[in-house]
Amino acid sequence: MKNLLHIFKILFIFALPIAAENLYENLNANQLKRLDYLSENIRCPKCSYGNINSSNAPISKDLKQEIAKLIEEGYTNDEIFNLMEERYGNYVILKTDINENTTLFLIPLMVLLISILLVTTYTIKRSK
Amino acid sequence: MGQLEGMVTRYFLVLILALLVTMLSIFSLSLVQTDELQTIKTQEGKKLIISEKIHDLDGNPIPLESLTEGKVLLNVWASWCITCLVEHPFLKSITESKDVKLIGINYKDQNFNAMKYLDKNGDPYEFSIFDLSGDISLKLGVTGAPETFLVIDGEIVSHRIGEVNLEVWNEKFAPYF
Repeated sequence: MKNLLHIFKILFIFALPIAAENLYENLNANQLKRLDYLSENIRCPKCSYGNINSSNAPISKDLKQEIAKLIEEGYTNDEIFNLMEERYGNYVILKTDINENTTLFLIPLMVLLISILLVTTYTIKRSK
Repeated sequence: MGQLEGMVTRYFLVLILALLVTMLSIFSLSLVQTDELQTIKTQEGKKLIISEKIHDLDGNPIPLESLTEGKVLLNVWASWCITCLVEHPFLKSITESKDVKLIGINYKDQNFNAMKYLDKNGDPYEFSIFDLSGDISLKLGVTGAPETFLVIDGEIVSHRIGEVNLEVWNEKFAPYF
């Protein structure tokens, strides 16, 4: 009987982390996915690198909690990104906006295209 | 025929070179235009927004006007924060030598520990706002402790993330005193 009690205690200890996992119980699966996406793409303001998800700074936990609350209140992803940018600046947004950095995205593509053309013409010329 | 192909190759080489030059000029131009390394934005120029009810360390309610009227120096501190302990003597000397209204925000701290810290190291604050959850500070844009705001008539005029020492004081806060 005493052994059984011990086993039960040990089982209880192992069960604790499972209970601790469900921190954002007000959110449904889809909202949790959004929370994860946002926390993955917003930088921790206290750290020089690392997003909210990967950081253990108290502010990151607070921010995640706040984002969860905002999602619950019906804010869209863009609205939450804007809110964070408004408060901490563009620096915290890890998701790069293609429309704002067109040259940055286009130049490597152009270089690639032109080099492909160059290499093809060169090899065609050599094979003749 | 071979002459034509040579011309085409030369044409592409010139194109690549032109592209490289434009790339280089775009990048160097953007280097010149950026006058500051991009880091966390300070809260300068924003209004001081506190929507919650605020209390001091003893639990007495504090009217919001005591923060939004006149010149107020807000310092975020905690008993667990080592840099706060470093800047503490400087804050004391500033309140002694100048006419500074210094108000603390006790950030994510236990009431008892905060009191003990002030007993031990001296209390330069007029009072300290008790912010156990860190909610008030979060809405203010505080990223951690220590941080210092200079608020003039409800507007954040100067904001320092990190320790305040004589050098920082002279640069960011002294012109207002």
